[in-house]
Amino acid sequence: MAEVVRVAIRSDADIVMVRQQARVLAKELGFSASDLTLIATALSELARNIVDYAGQGEIILSLINQGGHRGLVIIARDNGPGITDIERAMQDGYSTGKGLGMGLPGTRRLMDEFEISSGMGQGTTVKVTKWAR
Amino acid sequence: MTEEMKQNTEKTLMEELGFTEVEIARRRAFLELGDDDIQELLSINKLAKEYADPVIEAFYKHLLSFEETRVFFQDPGLLERVKRAQKAYFSRLTQGDYDNTYIEDRLNIGAVHERIGLPVKAYLGMYNFYLRNVANHLYEAYKDMPGKALRVYLSLLKVVFLDIGLAIDTYINRREQLIGKQREAMRELPTPVLQVRDRLLIIPVVGILDSYRARQLTEQLLDSISATRAKAVLMDITGVPIVDSKVANHLLQTVSAARLMGATVILTGLSPQIAQALVAIGVDLSHVRTTVDLQSGLEEAERLLGYRLVPVGERTGTNQAHV
Ligand SMILES: Nc1ncnc2c1ncn2[C@@H]1O[C@H](COP(=O)(O)OP(=O)(O)O)[C@@H](O)[C@H]1O
Ligand SMILES: [Mg+2]
Repeated sequence: MAEVVRVAIRSDADIVMVRQQARVLAKELGFSASDLTLIATALSELARNIVDYAGQGEIILSLINQGGHRGLVIIARDNGPGITDIERAMQDGYSTGKGLGMGLPGTRRLMDEFEISSGMGQGTTVKVTKWAR
Repeated sequence: MTEEMKQNTEKTLMEELGFTEVEIARRRAFLELGDDDIQELLSINKLAKEYADPVIEAFYKHLLSFEETRVFFQDPGLLERVKRAQKAYFSRLTQGDYDNTYIEDRLNIGAVHERIGLPVKAYLGMYNFYLRNVANHLYEAYKDMPGKALRVYLSLLKVVFLDIGLAIDTYINRREQLIGKQREAMRELPTPVLQVRDRLLIIPVVGILDSYRARQLTEQLLDSISATRAKAVLMDITGVPIVDSKVANHLLQTVSAARLMGATVILTGLSPQIAQALVAIGVDLSHVRTTVDLQSGLEEAERLLGYRLVPVGERTGTNQAHV
Protein backbone atom coordinates (compact mmCIF):
# COMPACT_ATOMS: atom_id res chain seq x y z
CA MET A 1 0.00 0.00 0.00
CA ALA A 2 1.42 3.33 -1.07
CA GLU A 3 1.91 5.88 1.69
CA VAL A 4 2.17 8.87 -0.61
CA VAL A 5 0.04 9.83 -3.58
CA ARG A 6 0.37 12.85 -5.83
CA VAL A 7 -2.61 13.93 -7.89
CA ALA A 8 -2.36 16.62 -10.56
CA ILE A 9 -5.24 19.08 -10.22
CA ARG A 10 -6.45 20.76 -13.38
CA SER A 11 -10.20 20.39 -13.50
CA ASP A 12 -13.27 19.53 -11.48
CA ALA A 13 -12.82 15.91 -12.50
CA ASP A 14 -9.47 15.79 -10.71
CA ILE A 15 -11.20 16.92 -7.54
CA VAL A 16 -13.22 13.73 -7.59
CA MET A 17 -10.09 11.72 -8.26
CA VAL A 18 -8.15 13.16 -5.36
CA ARG A 19 -11.08 12.60 -3.00
CA GLN A 20 -11.19 8.94 -3.96
CA GLN A 21 -7.45 8.56 -3.45
CA ALA A 22 -7.71 10.22 -0.06
CA ARG A 23 -10.55 7.94 0.94
CA VAL A 24 -8.42 4.88 0.20
CA LEU A 25 -5.45 6.25 2.16
CA ALA A 26 -7.50 7.55 5.05
CA LYS A 27 -9.30 4.23 5.46
CA GLU A 28 -5.91 2.67 6.27
CA LEU A 29 -5.85 4.76 9.40
CA GLY A 30 -9.33 3.78 10.48
CA PHE A 31 -10.90 7.22 10.31
CA SER A 32 -14.59 7.35 11.18
CA ALA A 33 -17.22 8.04 8.51
CA SER A 34 -17.57 11.61 9.75
CA ASP A 35 -13.83 12.18 9.67
CA LEU A 36 -13.68 10.81 6.13
CA THR A 37 -16.36 13.29 5.09
CA LEU A 38 -14.60 16.17 6.84
CA ILE A 39 -11.34 15.26 5.09
CA ALA A 40 -13.03 14.92 1.70
CA THR A 41 -14.71 18.28 2.16
CA ALA A 42 -11.45 20.02 3.09
CA LEU A 43 -9.75 18.40 0.13
CA SER A 44 -12.53 19.62 -2.11
CA GLU A 45 -12.09 23.19 -0.91
CA LEU A 46 -8.33 23.12 -1.48
CA ALA A 47 -8.59 21.47 -4.88
CA ARG A 48 -11.28 23.90 -6.01
CA ASN A 49 -9.16 26.85 -5.01
CA ILE A 50 -6.37 25.47 -7.18
CA VAL A 51 -8.70 25.07 -10.16
CA ASP A 52 -10.46 28.40 -9.61
CA TYR A 53 -7.55 30.67 -8.77
CA ALA A 54 -4.36 29.03 -10.05
CA GLY A 55 -5.70 27.02 -12.99
CA GLN A 56 -3.62 24.03 -12.05
CA GLY A 57 -1.49 22.53 -9.35
CA GLU A 58 -1.10 19.36 -7.36
CA ILE A 59 -2.16 17.67 -4.19
CA ILE A 60 0.11 15.33 -2.28
CA LEU A 61 -1.46 13.00 0.25
CA SER A 62 0.78 11.32 2.81
CA LEU A 63 0.28 9.02 5.74
CA ILE A 64 2.49 10.02 8.63
CA ASN A 65 3.41 8.52 11.94
CA GLN A 66 4.76 10.87 14.57
CA GLY A 67 5.71 9.00 17.72
CA GLY A 68 2.89 6.52 17.27
CA HIS A 69 0.47 9.27 16.39
CA ARG A 70 -0.86 8.54 12.92
CA GLY A 71 -2.41 11.01 10.55
CA LEU A 72 -3.11 12.11 7.02
CA VAL A 73 -1.27 15.12 5.63
CA ILE A 74 -2.64 16.99 2.63
CA ILE A 75 -0.39 19.39 0.78
CA ALA A 76 -2.09 21.48 -1.90
CA ARG A 77 0.34 23.51 -3.97
CA ASP A 78 0.26 25.58 -7.09
CA ASN A 79 2.38 28.10 -8.96
CA GLY A 80 -0.56 30.41 -9.51
CA PRO A 81 -0.88 34.12 -8.72
CA GLY A 82 -0.64 33.58 -4.96
CA ILE A 83 -2.53 35.39 -2.21
CA THR A 84 -1.48 38.95 -1.43
CA ASP A 85 -3.24 39.29 1.90
CA ILE A 86 -3.38 35.93 3.64
CA GLU A 87 -4.96 37.34 6.77
CA ARG A 88 -7.95 38.57 4.80
CA ALA A 89 -8.19 35.38 2.77
CA MET A 90 -8.46 33.48 6.05
CA GLN A 91 -11.47 35.52 7.17
CA ASP A 92 -14.96 34.06 6.89
CA GLY A 93 -16.75 35.44 3.88
CA TYR A 94 -13.78 36.99 2.09
CA SER A 95 -13.71 36.07 -1.59
CA THR A 96 -12.11 37.71 -4.59
CA GLY A 97 -14.27 35.48 -6.79
CA LYS A 98 -17.97 34.81 -6.49
CA GLY A 99 -17.47 32.28 -3.74
CA LEU A 100 -18.82 32.21 -0.22
CA GLY A 101 -15.32 32.91 1.08
CA MET A 102 -15.56 30.00 3.49
CA GLY A 103 -13.11 27.63 1.80
CA LEU A 104 -9.86 28.46 3.58
CA PRO A 105 -11.27 29.31 7.02
CA GLY A 106 -13.61 26.33 6.72
CA THR A 107 -10.74 24.01 5.88
CA ARG A 108 -8.90 25.19 8.97
CA ARG A 109 -11.94 24.20 11.07
CA LEU A 110 -12.39 20.88 9.29
CA MET A 111 -8.81 19.76 9.92
CA ASP A 112 -6.59 19.51 13.02
CA GLU A 113 -3.63 21.45 11.70
CA PHE A 114 -3.42 24.13 9.08
CA GLU A 115 -0.49 26.00 7.53
CA ILE A 116 -0.53 28.30 4.54
CA SER A 117 2.27 30.02 2.70
CA SER A 118 1.65 32.24 -0.26
CA GLY A 119 2.63 35.53 -1.72
CA MET A 120 1.94 37.54 -4.82
CA GLY A 121 3.50 35.75 -7.77
CA GLN A 122 4.84 32.95 -5.58
CA GLY A 123 2.09 30.41 -5.82
CA THR A 124 0.28 28.96 -2.85
CA THR A 125 0.96 26.01 -0.60
CA VAL A 126 -1.52 24.84 2.00
CA LYS A 127 -0.63 22.01 4.34
CA VAL A 128 -3.27 20.44 6.55
CA THR A 129 -3.28 17.42 8.82
CA LYS A 130 -5.96 15.24 10.32
CA TRP A 131 -4.92 12.95 13.16
CA ALA A 132 -6.48 9.53 13.53
CA ARG A 133 -8.11 9.12 16.89
CA MET B 1 -0.74 35.02 -41.23
CA THR B 2 -2.89 31.95 -40.68
CA GLU B 3 -0.22 30.61 -38.37
CA GLU B 4 -0.44 33.77 -36.33
CA MET B 5 -4.19 33.62 -36.10
CA LYS B 6 -4.02 30.05 -35.01
CA GLN B 7 -1.60 31.02 -32.29
CA ASN B 8 -3.99 33.66 -31.05
CA THR B 9 -7.06 31.53 -30.76
CA GLU B 10 -5.60 28.17 -29.80
CA LYS B 11 -3.69 27.57 -26.66
CA THR B 12 -0.13 26.55 -27.28
CA LEU B 13 0.91 23.26 -25.78
CA MET B 14 3.07 25.16 -23.33
CA GLU B 15 0.06 27.06 -22.02
CA GLU B 16 -2.06 23.95 -21.97
CA LEU B 17 0.50 22.11 -19.88
CA GLY B 18 1.11 25.13 -17.66
CA PHE B 19 4.74 25.58 -18.70
CA THR B 20 5.70 29.00 -17.47
CA GLU B 21 9.22 30.47 -17.54
CA VAL B 22 9.44 29.53 -13.89
CA GLU B 23 8.51 25.92 -14.58
CA ILE B 24 11.08 25.62 -17.35
CA ALA B 25 13.75 27.15 -15.13
CA ARG B 26 12.82 24.64 -12.40
CA ARG B 27 13.20 21.74 -14.77
CA ARG B 28 16.59 22.94 -15.89
CA ALA B 29 17.67 23.47 -12.29
CA PHE B 30 16.55 19.98 -11.32
CA LEU B 31 18.65 18.51 -14.13
CA GLU B 32 21.48 20.88 -13.20
CA LEU B 33 21.54 21.98 -16.80
CA GLY B 34 23.61 25.15 -16.73
CA ASP B 35 25.75 27.43 -18.85
CA ASP B 36 28.76 25.08 -18.62
CA ASP B 37 26.69 22.38 -20.26
CA ILE B 38 25.60 24.71 -22.99
CA GLN B 39 29.26 25.60 -23.67
CA GLU B 40 30.17 21.91 -23.79
CA LEU B 41 27.39 21.20 -26.24
CA LEU B 42 28.18 24.19 -28.44
CA SER B 43 31.79 23.02 -28.58
CA ILE B 44 30.77 19.81 -30.37
CA ASN B 45 28.21 21.30 -32.73
CA LYS B 46 30.61 21.03 -35.67
CA LEU B 47 31.51 17.46 -34.79
CA ALA B 48 27.83 16.62 -34.38
CA LYS B 49 27.18 17.79 -37.93
CA GLU B 50 29.92 15.44 -39.12
CA TYR B 51 28.50 12.38 -37.46
CA ALA B 52 24.87 13.35 -38.16
CA ASP B 53 24.53 11.23 -41.32
CA PRO B 54 25.98 7.96 -40.04
CA VAL B 55 24.01 8.32 -36.80
CA ILE B 56 20.75 8.94 -38.65
CA GLU B 57 21.36 6.00 -40.97
CA ALA B 58 22.07 3.64 -38.09
CA PHE B 59 19.07 5.06 -36.24
CA TYR B 60 16.60 4.30 -39.02
CA LYS B 61 18.17 0.95 -39.82
CA HIS B 62 17.47 0.01 -36.22
CA LEU B 63 13.93 1.43 -36.33
CA LEU B 64 13.09 -0.43 -39.50
CA SER B 65 14.45 -3.72 -38.25
CA PHE B 66 11.66 -4.06 -35.71
CA GLU B 67 8.11 -4.77 -36.80
CA GLU B 68 6.54 -2.57 -34.11
CA THR B 69 8.41 0.53 -35.28
CA ARG B 70 8.58 -0.40 -38.99
CA VAL B 71 4.77 -0.34 -39.29
CA PHE B 72 4.81 3.43 -38.93
CA PHE B 73 6.77 3.88 -42.14
CA GLN B 74 4.61 2.43 -44.91
CA ASP B 75 5.08 5.57 -46.97
CA PRO B 76 8.63 6.10 -48.31
CA GLY B 77 8.02 9.86 -48.57
CA LEU B 78 7.13 9.95 -44.91
CA LEU B 79 10.33 8.13 -44.03
CA GLU B 80 12.38 10.74 -45.85
CA ARG B 81 10.58 13.64 -44.18
CA VAL B 82 10.92 12.13 -40.72
CA LYS B 83 14.61 11.42 -41.31
CA ARG B 84 15.21 15.04 -42.22
CA ALA B 85 13.30 16.30 -39.18
CA GLN B 86 15.16 13.88 -36.94
CA LYS B 87 18.50 15.01 -38.29
CA ALA B 88 17.57 18.62 -37.66
CA TYR B 89 16.61 17.72 -34.09
CA PHE B 90 19.85 15.90 -33.38
CA SER B 91 21.86 18.87 -34.55
CA ARG B 92 19.57 21.23 -32.62
CA LEU B 93 20.53 19.36 -29.46
CA THR B 94 24.00 20.91 -29.57
CA GLN B 95 23.01 24.46 -30.53
CA GLY B 96 22.19 25.95 -27.13
CA ASP B 97 19.20 28.30 -26.64
CA TYR B 98 17.02 25.78 -24.82
CA ASP B 99 14.35 28.45 -24.58
CA ASN B 100 10.58 28.66 -24.97
CA THR B 101 10.65 27.97 -28.70
CA TYR B 102 12.80 24.95 -28.07
CA ILE B 103 10.44 23.67 -25.38
CA GLU B 104 7.34 24.28 -27.52
CA ASP B 105 8.98 22.37 -30.39
CA ARG B 106 9.73 19.40 -28.16
CA LEU B 107 6.17 19.37 -26.86
CA ASN B 108 4.76 19.43 -30.37
CA ILE B 109 7.02 16.56 -31.45
CA GLY B 110 5.96 14.60 -28.39
CA ALA B 111 2.31 15.26 -29.24
CA VAL B 112 2.82 14.00 -32.79
CA HIS B 113 4.35 10.78 -31.51
CA GLU B 114 1.49 10.29 -29.12
CA ARG B 115 -1.09 10.98 -31.82
CA ILE B 116 0.34 8.33 -34.11
CA GLY B 117 0.40 5.98 -31.14
CA LEU B 118 4.15 5.39 -30.99
CA PRO B 119 4.62 3.34 -27.81
CA VAL B 120 6.63 5.01 -25.04
CA LYS B 121 8.95 1.99 -24.92
CA ALA B 122 9.87 2.58 -28.57
CA TYR B 123 10.32 6.28 -27.93
CA LEU B 124 12.69 5.65 -25.03
CA GLY B 125 14.42 2.79 -26.81
CA MET B 126 15.27 5.04 -29.72
CA TYR B 127 16.72 7.71 -27.46
CA ASN B 128 18.83 5.05 -25.86
CA PHE B 129 20.03 3.83 -29.25
CA TYR B 130 20.88 7.39 -30.26
CA LEU B 131 22.84 8.06 -27.06
CA ARG B 132 24.88 4.89 -27.38
CA ASN B 133 25.72 5.78 -30.95
CA VAL B 134 26.75 9.31 -30.09
CA ALA B 135 28.79 8.05 -27.12
CA ASN B 136 30.90 5.98 -29.50
CA HIS B 137 31.45 8.92 -31.84
CA LEU B 138 32.46 11.18 -28.97
CA TYR B 139 34.81 8.56 -27.58
CA GLU B 140 36.49 8.20 -30.95
CA ALA B 141 36.71 11.93 -31.60
CA TYR B 142 38.20 12.86 -28.22
CA LYS B 143 40.65 10.01 -27.76
CA ASP B 144 43.40 12.55 -27.15
CA MET B 145 41.46 14.73 -24.75
CA PRO B 146 40.90 12.81 -21.54
CA GLY B 147 37.57 13.59 -19.90
CA LYS B 148 36.20 15.69 -22.77
CA ALA B 149 34.01 12.96 -24.24
CA LEU B 150 32.49 12.18 -20.86
CA ARG B 151 31.88 15.86 -20.04
CA VAL B 152 30.11 16.46 -23.33
CA TYR B 153 28.16 13.27 -23.00
CA LEU B 154 26.91 14.16 -19.53
CA SER B 155 25.78 17.57 -20.77
CA LEU B 156 24.01 15.93 -23.67
CA LEU B 157 22.27 13.56 -21.26
CA LYS B 158 20.82 16.52 -19.39
CA VAL B 159 19.28 18.06 -22.49
CA VAL B 160 18.03 14.69 -23.67
CA PHE B 161 16.40 14.03 -20.33
CA LEU B 162 14.82 17.47 -20.41
CA ASP B 163 13.34 16.53 -23.78
CA ILE B 164 12.22 13.09 -22.68
CA GLY B 165 10.46 14.63 -19.71
CA LEU B 166 8.65 17.06 -21.97
CA ALA B 167 7.63 14.38 -24.43
CA ILE B 168 6.28 12.10 -21.74
CA ASP B 169 4.29 14.99 -20.31
CA THR B 170 2.60 15.46 -23.68
CA TYR B 171 1.75 11.76 -23.73
CA ILE B 172 0.17 12.03 -20.31
CA ASN B 173 -1.57 15.26 -21.24
CA ARG B 174 -3.20 13.70 -24.31
CA ARG B 175 -4.45 10.76 -22.30
CA GLU B 176 -5.85 13.04 -19.66
CA GLN B 177 -7.67 15.04 -22.28
CA LEU B 178 -9.20 11.86 -23.62
CA ILE B 179 -10.36 10.83 -20.17
CA GLY B 180 -11.69 14.35 -19.68
CA LYS B 181 -13.72 14.11 -22.88
CA GLN B 182 -15.19 10.79 -21.81
CA ARG B 183 -16.14 12.25 -18.46
CA GLU B 184 -17.64 15.23 -20.26
CA ALA B 185 -19.83 12.91 -22.32
CA MET B 186 -21.06 11.16 -19.21
CA ARG B 187 -21.84 14.44 -17.57
CA GLU B 188 -24.31 15.33 -20.28
CA LEU B 189 -26.80 13.11 -18.48
CA PRO B 190 -29.70 15.39 -17.67
CA THR B 191 -31.06 15.74 -14.17
CA PRO B 192 -34.70 14.70 -14.34
CA VAL B 193 -37.34 16.88 -12.76
CA LEU B 194 -40.31 14.73 -11.80
CA GLN B 195 -43.81 15.89 -11.10
CA VAL B 196 -45.18 13.82 -8.21
CA ARG B 197 -48.56 15.45 -8.01
CA ASP B 198 -50.12 18.79 -8.80
CA ARG B 199 -47.77 21.64 -7.85
CA LEU B 200 -45.12 19.27 -6.43
CA LEU B 201 -41.81 18.46 -8.10
CA ILE B 202 -38.98 16.14 -7.11
CA ILE B 203 -35.49 16.64 -8.37
CA PRO B 204 -33.04 13.90 -7.46
CA VAL B 205 -29.48 15.20 -7.68
CA VAL B 206 -26.92 12.47 -8.20
CA GLY B 207 -23.16 12.66 -8.47
CA ILE B 208 -20.77 15.52 -8.57
CA LEU B 209 -22.25 18.97 -8.73
CA ASP B 210 -19.75 21.14 -10.57
CA SER B 211 -20.54 24.64 -11.82
CA TYR B 212 -21.71 23.42 -15.20
CA ARG B 213 -24.09 20.84 -13.84
CA ALA B 214 -25.30 23.17 -11.12
CA ARG B 215 -26.25 25.78 -13.70
CA GLN B 216 -27.98 23.13 -15.79
CA LEU B 217 -29.88 21.94 -12.75
CA THR B 218 -31.04 25.43 -11.83
CA GLU B 219 -32.22 26.11 -15.37
CA GLN B 220 -34.09 22.84 -15.61
CA LEU B 221 -35.72 23.34 -12.29
CA LEU B 222 -36.84 26.89 -13.04
CA ASP B 223 -38.26 25.83 -16.39
CA SER B 224 -40.19 23.02 -14.76
CA ILE B 225 -41.49 25.29 -12.03
CA SER B 226 -42.82 27.71 -14.59
CA ALA B 227 -44.26 24.94 -16.78
CA THR B 228 -46.06 23.13 -13.97
CA ARG B 229 -46.69 26.16 -11.74
CA ALA B 230 -45.17 24.14 -8.91
CA LYS B 231 -45.38 25.47 -5.38
CA ALA B 232 -43.07 22.98 -3.72
CA VAL B 233 -39.91 21.25 -4.83
CA LEU B 234 -38.14 18.38 -3.15
CA MET B 235 -34.47 18.54 -3.97
CA ASP B 236 -32.97 15.25 -2.92
CA ILE B 237 -29.20 15.20 -2.53
CA THR B 238 -28.80 11.66 -1.16
CA GLY B 239 -26.71 10.94 -4.24
CA VAL B 240 -24.31 13.85 -3.78
CA PRO B 241 -21.20 12.50 -2.05
CA ILE B 242 -19.67 15.75 -0.79
CA VAL B 243 -21.06 19.23 -0.30
CA ASP B 244 -18.31 21.80 -0.07
CA SER B 245 -18.82 25.57 0.05
CA LYS B 246 -19.09 25.87 -3.70
CA VAL B 247 -21.73 23.17 -4.06
CA ALA B 248 -23.55 24.63 -1.06
CA ASN B 249 -23.47 28.03 -2.74
CA HIS B 250 -24.97 26.55 -5.90
CA LEU B 251 -27.72 24.90 -3.89
CA LEU B 252 -28.46 28.13 -2.03
CA GLN B 253 -28.70 30.03 -5.29
CA THR B 254 -31.05 27.48 -6.77
CA VAL B 255 -33.24 27.69 -3.69
CA SER B 256 -33.38 31.51 -3.91
CA ALA B 257 -34.18 31.46 -7.61
CA ALA B 258 -37.00 28.98 -7.04
CA ARG B 259 -38.35 31.12 -4.22
CA LEU B 260 -38.49 34.12 -6.57
CA MET B 261 -40.70 32.02 -8.80
CA GLY B 262 -43.03 31.26 -5.96
CA ALA B 263 -41.86 27.74 -5.13
CA THR B 264 -40.50 26.50 -1.83
CA VAL B 265 -37.56 24.13 -2.02
CA ILE B 266 -37.13 21.45 0.58
CA LEU B 267 -33.68 19.94 0.68
CA THR B 268 -33.74 16.26 1.54
CA GLY B 269 -31.13 13.56 1.95
CA LEU B 270 -28.52 15.64 3.73
CA SER B 271 -26.47 13.01 5.58
CA PRO B 272 -25.40 13.66 9.17
CA GLN B 273 -21.75 13.66 8.04
CA ILE B 274 -22.36 16.27 5.37
CA ALA B 275 -24.39 18.37 7.78
CA GLN B 276 -21.50 18.22 10.25
CA ALA B 277 -19.01 19.25 7.58
CA LEU B 278 -21.18 22.17 6.49
CA VAL B 279 -21.42 23.40 10.07
CA ALA B 280 -17.62 23.18 10.39
CA ILE B 281 -17.10 25.11 7.18
CA GLY B 282 -19.59 27.67 8.39
CA VAL B 283 -22.07 27.56 5.55
CA ASP B 284 -25.41 28.86 6.73
CA LEU B 285 -28.28 26.67 5.58
CA SER B 286 -30.67 27.93 8.24
CA HIS B 287 -32.83 29.70 5.66
CA VAL B 288 -33.34 26.51 3.73
CA ARG B 289 -35.94 23.97 4.68
CA THR B 290 -34.22 20.63 5.15
CA THR B 291 -35.41 17.20 6.14
CA VAL B 292 -33.43 14.03 6.84
CA ASP B 293 -34.97 11.88 4.16
CA LEU B 294 -37.24 12.00 1.17
CA GLN B 295 -40.18 10.56 3.12
CA SER B 296 -40.28 13.39 5.65
CA GLY B 297 -39.62 15.86 2.86
CA LEU B 298 -42.71 14.60 1.09
CA GLU B 299 -44.81 14.94 4.21
CA GLU B 300 -43.56 18.48 4.71
CA ALA B 301 -44.27 19.40 1.08
CA GLU B 302 -47.78 18.02 1.30
CA ARG B 303 -48.43 19.96 4.43
CA LEU B 304 -47.22 23.05 2.59
CA LEU B 305 -49.58 22.36 -0.28
CA GLY B 306 -52.48 21.67 2.06
CA TYR B 307 -52.70 17.94 1.44
CA ARG B 308 -53.15 15.46 4.23
CA LEU B 309 -52.18 11.85 3.77
CA VAL B 310 -54.53 9.47 5.52
CA PRO B 311 -54.50 5.65 5.45
CA VAL B 312 -57.44 4.25 3.41
CA GLY B 313 -59.11 2.61 6.41
CA GLU B 314 -59.30 5.90 8.24
CA ARG B 315 -61.23 7.75 5.56
CA THR B 316 -63.92 9.49 7.56
CA GLY B 317 -65.98 12.63 7.74
CA THR B 318 -66.22 14.83 4.67
CA ASN B 319 -64.83 12.18 2.36
CA GLN B 320 -67.58 9.71 3.19
CA ALA B 321 -70.26 12.30 2.80
CA HIS B 322 -69.50 12.42 -0.93
CA VAL B 323 -69.91 8.67 -1.47
N1 LIG C 1 -4.69 28.58 -4.50
C1 LIG C 1 -5.00 29.89 -4.49
N2 LIG C 1 -4.36 30.75 -5.33
C2 LIG C 1 -4.66 32.07 -5.32
N3 LIG C 1 -5.59 32.63 -4.54
C3 LIG C 1 -6.28 31.83 -3.69
C4 LIG C 1 -6.02 30.43 -3.63
N4 LIG C 1 -6.84 29.91 -2.70
C5 LIG C 1 -7.57 30.92 -2.20
N5 LIG C 1 -7.24 32.09 -2.80
C6 LIG C 1 -7.77 33.44 -2.49
O1 LIG C 1 -8.35 33.42 -1.20
C7 LIG C 1 -9.72 33.78 -1.25
C8 LIG C 1 -10.52 33.01 -0.23
O2 LIG C 1 -10.57 31.64 -0.58
P1 LIG C 1 -11.73 30.73 0.01
O3 LIG C 1 -11.74 30.90 1.47
O4 LIG C 1 -11.56 29.35 -0.50
O5 LIG C 1 -13.05 31.39 -0.55
P2 LIG C 1 -13.66 31.41 -2.04
O6 LIG C 1 -12.99 30.33 -2.82
O7 LIG C 1 -15.11 31.16 -1.83
O8 LIG C 1 -13.38 32.76 -2.59
C9 LIG C 1 -10.14 33.53 -2.67
O9 LIG C 1 -11.23 34.34 -3.07
C10 LIG C 1 -8.87 33.85 -3.44
O10 LIG C 1 -8.74 35.23 -3.65
MG1 LIG D 1 -12.58 28.43 -2.20
